[in-house]
Amino acid sequence: MRTLDGVGSTPRSGVGTARWYRPDADLTLPDRPESESVDVDAELDRYESAREAVRSALREARDRTAERVGEEEAAVFEAHEGFLDDPTIIEDVEAAIREGTPAEHAVADRFDEAVAQFEEMEGRMAERADDLRDVRDRLLRALLDADDDGGRVATDLATLPEGTILLAERLTPSDTAALDPDAVAGIATVEGGRTSHAAIIARSLAIPAVVGVGEALESVADGETVLVDGEAGEVVVDPDEERREAVREAGPDAIRERVETSDGRPVEVAANVGGEAELGPAVERGADGIGLFRTEFLFVDRETPPTEDEQYEAVRAALSAFDGPDDRVVVRTLDVGGDKPVPYLDLPDEENPFLGRRGIRLSLDEHADLFETQLRALLRAAATDEGDGLAVMFPLVTRVEEVERAVARVEAVAADLASEGVDHAVPELGAMVETPAAAFLADALAERLDFLSVGTNDLAQYVMAADRGNDAVADYHDPLHPAVLRALDRTTAAVEGTDAWVGMCGEMAGDPALTELLVGLGFDELSMSAVTVPDVKARVREVDADAARSLASDALACETRAEVLDVLGLDDRAA
Amino acid sequence: MERTVTVEPEAGLHARPASKLVQTANRFDADVSIGRADAGDEGLVRADSMLSVSGLNVEHGESVRVVAEGPDDEAALDAVCDLLTSPVEESSDDDAEDAP
Repeated sequence: MRTLDGVGSTPRSGVGTARWYRPDADLTLPDRPESESVDVDAELDRYESAREAVRSALREARDRTAERVGEEEAAVFEAHEGFLDDPTIIEDVEAAIREGTPAEHAVADRFDEAVAQFEEMEGRMAERADDLRDVRDRLLRALLDADDDGGRVATDLATLPEGTILLAERLTPSDTAALDPDAVAGIATVEGGRTSHAAIIARSLAIPAVVGVGEALESVADGETVLVDGEAGEVVVDPDEERREAVREAGPDAIRERVETSDGRPVEVAANVGGEAELGPAVERGADGIGLFRTEFLFVDRETPPTEDEQYEAVRAALSAFDGPDDRVVVRTLDVGGDKPVPYLDLPDEENPFLGRRGIRLSLDEHADLFETQLRALLRAAATDEGDGLAVMFPLVTRVEEVERAVARVEAVAADLASEGVDHAVPELGAMVETPAAAFLADALAERLDFLSVGTNDLAQYVMAADRGNDAVADYHDPLHPAVLRALDRTTAAVEGTDAWVGMCGEMAGDPALTELLVGLGFDELSMSAVTVPDVKARVREVDADAARSLASDALACETRAEVLDVLGLDDRAA
Repeated sequence: MERTVTVEPEAGLHARPASKLVQTANRFDADVSIGRADAGDEGLVRADSMLSVSGLNVEHGESVRVVAEGPDDEAALDAVCDLLTSPVEESSDDDAEDAP
């Protein structure tokens, strides 16, 4: 048994068989035989069947990625299929085989030639060289390895055998999203940080993960038994019996009832939901409600906006899943911008879409019509039997006037519905705090609204001026930087003593190591990926609210992230 | 028969638009070729080859010449030019990466 240290990313553990994912590994070809000794017909057949195997693997990968990540990310596999079945390549490869070249050499020669051509060009053309290399490697694997199935084992993360512990240099978001959570028992990577997209997706799929292990991970060989402990941040090779028995694949049992701190302060623990398929898991894991219901899923991948009735039904489905007397469902109105194109919205092409027309800005002006339809659906849903728990929040608020205009729109829609004789009710209204502007104005916003909910991923991005998609500034993008903590404090302090409540619906809320800090800062509600709901509920029960307050005030006094980590006892935590 | 059109998809003839073009050209019996409008006959490449189409490195807004020859050449030309002149549909990325 030997233990390697890294950064835990999902508070779960899993044990299984190590399998390296090396998308760029070298494939060594056998020596070229004399051309007379080559059986031309057999080689042509081998080439044909290799193409068939790779084609079906590519289609599987395409469909899976489309389903789990998105059509845009899936399109790359169509381009790969285009190269696989390119008639000019097929003609050349077959001609070379007829001259006595074995299939793998004919394939390697032709693709290498094409790669070299594309590499000479720049930008997008160099990306095509990567695509060609990927197709070449798939074909070579299919030709060289009798057991191989279209390069699936080596490159298709979607179809790994059950009980796999996946080891890799790094994983891209689309790699991670392609994984089958039932097959993959754990992930360990050489690179990567806690807030990398890959780590976030692993968490949402509930796959135990340890990232940033470093070069030491290279010492683990394919086939070894490996335990990944995402809570302790450890990779254990050849674990002993005791360690294996402590594996907690499923995490703590769901806690159905609402929880309070050891000294009786209630904290609502809710789930973030981005589609109807996520409602079931949220209920199963014992969420008290939905703290963030993203409505974007209703708008993407289609040619026209959803109708009022479609939206009404979607919200009703969420309300029926959480129909207890105290259950709350917080619906965020449409939150899109130039980085998330939706064809019929005709969004402007902006230099910096994160600082442009998005969120409530679009809803109040360019897309006032869509906003009205969405509000009609929401106000109707609020009037149903289960509609008591409905709350509606506006994204990317930066100005008081925006809130005033949004509330006026809600009132106007209510008046319209009344004059039409349609049943309706006005739900609780709130704003997302995801910009420094909203944190500074939290008192003014809370005066006009029923609640505020902090989106920490965007808040950290805007406070720290660090693009959350840019790995080069990943160490800036952490909510434990003192500047971000003080923005959180400003928000919760502004709400204290008012009738409004304050919640959090960013990644930070789902980290049980931070629950005490967040309770201490004064959050009434924490909303997270369903997977960590039981962990956070269990943690809330252990927390003493007074001790938490003093921990929070110590953290707020810190001037550097290192000091914050020290206060929280998380010294070995990477960004 | 042939036609000259301006390439509308934002991505030019790369990635998705390129694979769509190749898939479309492959659906017809006619031989379809494509090249830059100002490159003459030597500039024409097979439209059913991903390698050749990507190799053109055509960007959004450029003028291209499409030539089709064969039994269903008119239909092939219509389909290919349709594709080249409509801005490609985009779909949004996923939600998993998109926690607030």
